[in-house]
Amino acid sequence: MIQLSREQIVKKLESVENMPSIPATLEPLLRYLSLPVDQLETQKVVDMIAHDKSLTVQCLHLANSPLFCRWQAVDSLRGAVVALGLGRMKEVALACSFMQMLPRQIGGIDPIIFWEHSLGCALVSRHLARKLNLPDAEKAYLAGLLHDFGIIANFVILPKESGEVLGSARAREIPLHEAELEILGMTHADSGRILGERWRLAPELVSVIAHHHNPEQAKNNRSLVALVNLADLLCRMRNLGYGYPERRLVDLASEKGFAVLAEDCPAVDGFDWARLTFELDNYMFEVHRLVAALYRIQ
Amino acid sequence: MIASVAVKPILENPSLLPSPHLLRIRDLVYQVSGIFHPDHQLAFLEERCQRRATELRLTNLRDYLDLLTAQANRQNELIALLHEMTVGETCFFRNAAQLEALRRVVLPKIVEERNTLPVRRLKIWSAGCSTGEEAYTLAILLLEESKELLAGWDIEIQATDLSMRSVAHARRGIYGESATRNLPPEIRRKYFVEEEGGLSINQHVRTRVNLQQLSLLDDSRMTFMKGIDIIFCCHVLIYFDGAAKHSVIQHFRNSLLAPGYLFLGSTESLLGNSEDFRLIHLPSTTAYRKTDHSREKRLT
Repeated sequence: MIQLSREQIVKKLESVENMPSIPATLEPLLRYLSLPVDQLETQKVVDMIAHDKSLTVQCLHLANSPLFCRWQAVDSLRGAVVALGLGRMKEVALACSFMQMLPRQIGGIDPIIFWEHSLGCALVSRHLARKLNLPDAEKAYLAGLLHDFGIIANFVILPKESGEVLGSARAREIPLHEAELEILGMTHADSGRILGERWRLAPELVSVIAHHHNPEQAKNNRSLVALVNLADLLCRMRNLGYGYPERRLVDLASEKGFAVLAEDCPAVDGFDWARLTFELDNYMFEVHRLVAALYRIQ
Repeated sequence: MIASVAVKPILENPSLLPSPHLLRIRDLVYQVSGIFHPDHQLAFLEERCQRRATELRLTNLRDYLDLLTAQANRQNELIALLHEMTVGETCFFRNAAQLEALRRVVLPKIVEERNTLPVRRLKIWSAGCSTGEEAYTLAILLLEESKELLAGWDIEIQATDLSMRSVAHARRGIYGESATRNLPPEIRRKYFVEEEGGLSINQHVRTRVNLQQLSLLDDSRMTFMKGIDIIFCCHVLIYFDGAAKHSVIQHFRNSLLAPGYLFLGSTESLLGNSEDFRLIHLPSTTAYRKTDHSREKRLT
């Protein structure tokens, strides 16, 4: 039984001492990576990454994954940074920060399943953005990767209550955010927004984090929010969700995210969604393998 | 400080990557048949392409791709290739995700929508049922559900195939090891009898399945297929070209009650033939639902 009111939960999320923070070793790197890409020096990025063993190994794993650089094998950190590209280093460093923040086992959430969903959603968002010829597919990737940022916040700040929510959602096979709303009176989208603003994430990312379950209410970057909404839904329906199947029927064309995306991107109507769904299976194996490898090194 | 950490590269041998010709063949197969081969099936697709190429005295995949690209040969050769890939594949309880989605999502939805009606009748059509494994699987699944969800419902499975030989096999209802490899032990005990030559479907299941020889292109007989709730038609539409496929799909639409459901193969889509159906997503699988309004948005 949840003892806290919604107001108390929000207050807890907003208090500085409770809030998870960026790991100290990664903060200077993230600050440096905020500069425009053309001002970044490869060697400086390599040196800063090398301070963090976990991030170093993560870069090497990603650079050697067919999901990113399938044409080359990389065995040095510098080679990995070059292969992945300086522009992608920020998302790698952010992902690594989140991984270090999420406790290994709290209240029944399996961090590996959580990251498989996040990485799957990132890849599908990027794939869909490319297929629909939307600008900046890499931004879609990062938005997909971070969309469930609030789940981390909830599990760090409210471990017991979040465990209860997940247990209830799993038992009834309903979407996690519906169980959150029923039990907590708020969702991970609300807590993600608070944490995203505190971390000073880019406004379009905060918009995705805050509205990926109700894209029609987003005021900014609506098509990016809608894109991640659909990618998230497809992942959850294709067994890349939170470790349980959601027992429901989804008619994608009736989803609010579909209508929002169609406003900016008419190609959505004639798009081959069946093929996209089948292609999603291509990611499964590599997503499982990559996340397992990354978690072994944390 | 760590300058480099030894991580075994996954791609030590770039030659293991799928050839561009194979990826083009995958695209072509999808564009014509609506069947997609995910990456984990590429080795199988390649092996079957090589087999077809050898049979046609072609030396490599590139030549085979050229043959498929030539419009005149495409349809027949694609049918031959897909036949190679699906032959002998059928067995009881083959597509677990589809069956689970049927049991846990689609059936409860139909029951909920019809609960207030006086007649409770459920009719499923296995169109292109081959030797009957799918039709009997569906009958068993519905019989299992008739204890609770479908209690008091009349259940009927209509099973049709073009081949009289396949229908005769299905009527005999005796299956060998390969066809029965996925049977859960309690289902095997409950619905099958050991006989010489394999396992025989018991009478309880047989009476639920109505087997008939039928061509899906036989317009006059197709119009009699009415009052269906769900159609299963896996890897059958590949045998029809554009106009014929369109006609079969229209017949399916006319046969289905609203909201009727159409299940194809697990990675098979209707492509551009979906004016009458909308794509739906179910847990770990997809299906189609009959459209009710012409103004509705359509997905392929």
